[in-house]
Amino acid sequence: MENADREILDKLKEEKTRNLAFQTLVKTYQERLYWHIRKIVLNHDDADDVLQNTFLKVWRNLDNFREESGLYTWLYRIATNESLTFINSTKKRSIIPMNDASEFLLNNLVSDEFFEGDEIQLKLQEAILTLPEKQRIVFNLKYFEEMKYETMSEILETSVGALKASFHHAVKKVEEHLKTRD
Amino acid sequence: MNTEMKELEKIAPELSKIKKENPFRVPENYFDDFSARLQVKLDAEQNAVPVKKNNIIRYLKPAIGLAAGFALVFSLAYWPLKTLTPNQTAESDVQEISVSDMLFASAVEGIDVNSFYELLEKPAENEQLSDEDLANYVNTNVSEYEIYSQAATQ
Repeated sequence: MENADREILDKLKEEKTRNLAFQTLVKTYQERLYWHIRKIVLNHDDADDVLQNTFLKVWRNLDNFREESGLYTWLYRIATNESLTFINSTKKRSIIPMNDASEFLLNNLVSDEFFEGDEIQLKLQEAILTLPEKQRIVFNLKYFEEMKYETMSEILETSVGALKASFHHAVKKVEEHLKTRD
Repeated sequence: MNTEMKELEKIAPELSKIKKENPFRVPENYFDDFSARLQVKLDAEQNAVPVKKNNIIRYLKPAIGLAAGFALVFSLAYWPLKTLTPNQTAESDVQEISVSDMLFASAVEGIDVNSFYELLEKPAENEQLSDEDLANYVNTNVSEYEIYSQAATQ
């Protein structure tokens, strides 16, 4: 565990320093977690909601954090779960039946005023949306964030081998989509 | 270029052509304001007075719910039945009485006055009618024409 994380955790345990330490934690991780969430839910407003929920959950569960994994890993895991919970609840709430959330997410992306990608970027996002949920997260973490498989393995609680295979399949599917769709 | 990227270029040339850039942006000062907005939510959550539920009520809640359900069903089904049924019975009683009255009245209309008073004066027990009684009844109730036409058919 990084020294900065150790310091934050020690201060979080003390009643007097807890609030200040939590603010430090938020400042340290808000941007990284935001981009991780944003790549899953795509829309800014949704990402903002999910990020707030993530930190609220972190605050409520501080006493339950056993430090078996790193702080960074724990936060990413909560953010990932919150993002998936958001997508699934949106799917359930939708009036129109959805087999998967890709259509809703693509519409969300196109209508998002904070998406400024060009045609090829939109096509890439469309290709990524064809991937199954978990494969999509693996692809985003590896391709965009260039995260190590070992770290990803802790966050997603999946073996490194399975993650490598998942990324490989994801890349092939994205490539196929980019080739076939003009 | 690391081996992973080389591998990617080999298996996904189209993907490798796309410039790896962030197509998303955030509103101005979003990250500067985020922690303050979150703090407002946290303060609201911390200041919220937790509603302490009475333990007995908590345990009795399912039973109370069930009882309330029964009471609701009872009031919805029994009460309208109770209030509506007597009226319906009264109406049918009235109907029955009026039908029997009408039958009685029509039976009385068919009997001549002498026979009617005779019936009232006589005791209700079954008596054997004598030949004289039968002859009197025929004389007063049946015309000669009816007697001859009956005899002709037999």
